[in-house]
Amino acid sequence: MSELHVDGRTVPVDEEGFLVELSDWSEAVACVLAEREGLVLEAEHWEVLHLLRRFYAEFQLSPATRPLIRYTAQQLGPDKGNSLHLNRLFKGTPAKLAAKLAGLPKPSNCL
Amino acid sequence: MARSLLLIARQAPWSGLAAREALDIVLAGGAFDLPMAMLFLDDGVFQLAAAQQPAAVQQKDLTANLQALQLFGVEELYAAGRSLRERGLAEDALGLPVRLLDDAELTALLDRFDEVITL
Amino acid sequence: MATLHVLSHSPFADSRLDSCLVLMSVRDGLLLSGDAVYALQPGSAPHAALRTRPAGARLYALEEDVRARALSAGDDVELIDYPRFVELAGEFDRVNSWL
Repeated sequence: MSELHVDGRTVPVDEEGFLVELSDWSEAVACVLAEREGLVLEAEHWEVLHLLRRFYAEFQLSPATRPLIRYTAQQLGPDKGNSLHLNRLFKGTPAKLAAKLAGLPKPSNCL
Repeated sequence: MARSLLLIARQAPWSGLAAREALDIVLAGGAFDLPMAMLFLDDGVFQLAAAQQPAAVQQKDLTANLQALQLFGVEELYAAGRSLRERGLAEDALGLPVRLLDDAELTALLDRFDEVITL
Repeated sequence: MATLHVLSHSPFADSRLDSCLVLMSVRDGLLLSGDAVYALQPGSAPHAALRTRPAGARLYALEEDVRARALSAGDDVELIDYPRFVELAGEFDRVNSWL
């Protein structure tokens, strides 16, 4: 267990960097999480992160890669819902990394 | 060629792990892009009832997860019409779109899959 | 395309046997193991239900489970050991264990 320091608050994360308390998430927290991964969040990232949070609110689970691609295609169109685009944004591991930055639990079927 | 899988879920949702395990199997299969279908049989049809509130018994919401099945590549969802009738469940009381099968269709369904798992 | 259905729970405790009989086709087989062999108890409702299986569907029971419970099997039941179980699993297209 380690912790992040965001705007004077302490936010616990697990050994892989996922939030322990999903309710701790904010855009500021996401920026700090991204920084730890060497990523600067831009509009295209945010679009996917917010989409993931909607996915979680609706289905109560974190998507594996294929469902993430399908859902993104459904919601944002095929230009964005494809593995090329998502891999480019999230360093080749979109399901895992985007879930982490969106404050979701680690996808359980992420192999 | 990936082998196709039919998962038969026949346990009610909130007591014991069977319903959750059945769902986990198809979610994992979806990650591998296996051709899959799910059949709700016997008490398994209670997983389909709309507006359940598992938080009242400190459970995670399996029924919300079920809504994601199609995104996970489980395109075919079936329920045994007999099981619904036996339990007084009407089709319009279900929270998930499933196709109801009669007995003859149930028998034919199994023959279409390489593997069958009943939980 | 045929399925070998494997039951191992007591037929007096739940609906596995009844549902299995609904799903079976004439080319399927039904293997009773563990407490499921109590379905062979003469005069019982499960015993009568077994006869409603589709004509042609084969019935098997694990001999050691039958003997252990002092049951006996009629002529329509093939008593098998584990090597034969493995053989059967290969003869059918798929095995469906009712867990």
